[in-house]
Amino acid sequence: MRFTRITRTIRRITMLLAAAALLLGVPAAAAAHASSATTGTGWIRLAHLSPNTPAVDVYLYSFGNSNAEIVLHHVAYGTVSPYEAVTAGDYSVAMRAAGTSATSQPVLSTSVTIDADHAYTVAGMGPESGLRLQVMDDDLTTPSGKALVRVIQASLKQQTVKVTCDGKTIVPKASFASVSSYQAIPAGTWTMAAIGSGGTATQSVTLAAGTVHTLVVLDGSNGLEMISLEDAAGAGKPPLGGASTGFGGTAPHGPGSPLPWAALIGAGSLLALTGGLRLRRHGLSRQLHSGV
Amino acid sequence: MSFRRPAAIIFAAGLVVIAAGTGGLMLTRHSTLAMRPVAAGVGALPAPTGPIVAPPQSAAPRPVAAPVSLTIPLIGVTTKLIRLGLASDGSLQVPPTTSVAGWYTGSPRPGATGSAIIVGHIDSVSGPGVFFRLPELRKGDQVYIRRADGTLVKFLVTSVRQYLKDQFPTQAVYGPTPDAELRLITCGGAFDSATGHYLSNIVVYATEASR
Repeated sequence: MRFTRITRTIRRITMLLAAAALLLGVPAAAAAHASSATTGTGWIRLAHLSPNTPAVDVYLYSFGNSNAEIVLHHVAYGTVSPYEAVTAGDYSVAMRAAGTSATSQPVLSTSVTIDADHAYTVAGMGPESGLRLQVMDDDLTTPSGKALVRVIQASLKQQTVKVTCDGKTIVPKASFASVSSYQAIPAGTWTMAAIGSGGTATQSVTLAAGTVHTLVVLDGSNGLEMISLEDAAGAGKPPLGGASTGFGGTAPHGPGSPLPWAALIGAGSLLALTGGLRLRRHGLSRQLHSGV
Repeated sequence: MSFRRPAAIIFAAGLVVIAAGTGGLMLTRHSTLAMRPVAAGVGALPAPTGPIVAPPQSAAPRPVAAPVSLTIPLIGVTTKLIRLGLASDGSLQVPPTTSVAGWYTGSPRPGATGSAIIVGHIDSVSGPGVFFRLPELRKGDQVYIRRADGTLVKFLVTSVRQYLKDQFPTQAVYGPTPDAELRLITCGGAFDSATGHYLSNIVVYATEASR
C-alpha cells in the first residue's frame, strides 16, 4: 500500500514536470521595444507678406493658453522669421498692429496644428483690405540628389510673374498672394528670375542636394525684388539604411536561444518519466506478487 | 529492491537534468551584460572652452567651418572627427578604427541648417568603442563640436532612439530639417554572432543650443 502511494506520487510529479517542461520550452515573446510615445516637436515660422499692410506684432499661442509662446515685434512687409521649434500640438497665430497692447483685439488670427517633425510657415498675405493669414505646410523631403524650390508671390505691383531657373520656366504664372507647389531642381548654382510685365528680379541661388528653398517675390523700393530662403537642409545623398558600428566585443551574452535548455528539460523529463514509470511498474508487480 | 534502485536513480537523474535545463533557461531570460555601462556622469569631462559661435539665421545659408572634433562631457567622449563618405553599397561609411568618430561629408556641417551625421563604433571585437556610452545620453545633455576655424558649437540632446537596422528611419535621421541638428549614430540591441553585426542602431538626436 505504501509503495502504491509513493508510485502514484512519483507519477504525479513526473506528469507535472513534463507539463512544466513543455510550458517553459515555449519561448517567451520577444521583449517588446519600449518606444517612448513622446509628443515630439515641429517647427513654425511667421511672415509678413502683405505689401500695403503696415508693420505688425505677431503672436503665437499654444491653444488655450493666453500667454504667448512667441512674440515678434514690428514685423514689416518682406520679413520671414527663422523657424522656431515648438512642441507638437494646436496653436493660434494672431497679428496686431505694431505697438498695440498684447491684450487688444487682434487684427487677424488663425489656428494651426503643428505635427511632430513637420514645418509650417504662417504668413500674412494679400492686400491690406483682404489681409489673411495663410498656413503653409513646408516640405521636409527631397528627391535624392535634388533640391526643392517653391515660390511665394507677394508683389502687388506685378500681379502675375513668371519664375525661371537659368531661363527655364519653373512657375509659369504666379499670381499675387499665391504659393506655388514645390519644384524638384538639380543641385547647382542657378540664376533665378521673377519676370513681371513691368519688371524683373534676378538672383543667383546655390541649391545643394537635399535642401528645400522658398523664393519670395516682393515689391521693393526699386521695383520687383526676390529673396531666397533656405528652409531646410539634409544629406544630399542620404545613406542607405543604418550603420555597421560595432564588432560585439561588449555585446550582451544573449538573450541566447532557449532551445538547448528546453531540449535539456525535455530530456530530463523523459529520464524522470522513464524512471517514474519503471518505479510504478515495479510497484504494481510487487502488489500483484503480494496478492493485493 | 534490485529493480527499484536503478529506476529511482534514473528518476533522480531526470530531476537533476530538468533543474539544470530550467536554470539555463532562466539565464537566457535574464541576459547578462558583459560590460555594463558605468553610471551616467562618471568620468565626465569638463565642457570645452572657447567662443560658442552660432551665426544668426538669415536668408542665405549659414557658412560654417568643417567639424574637427567632438566632446560629450557627460560620458567622457572626446574624439577627433574623421571624414566619411558612402560605402560602395550606398550605406554610411564607418570609421576604420573603433576609437574615433567621423562626420559624413554628404551631410550638413554641424551648426549649419540641417542634420549633421556623426558615426562611431560602440565596440571593437574586444572592448568598448568611442560611442560605447552613447546610450546613456538623455534629453538636455550637452554635445560640443569644434570646427576647423576654432569655433565651438553646442548641441542639446532631444532624444535617444533605438531602431532595428531593417527598420531604420532614413528620412527622420538623414532628411532635411529647418534648424541646425546633430545625429550621433552607433550600434546597439542584440548582437548577431552569426553575421558579426548588431541588429539595431542607436541614434542620438540633438539640436543646436538656442542662441
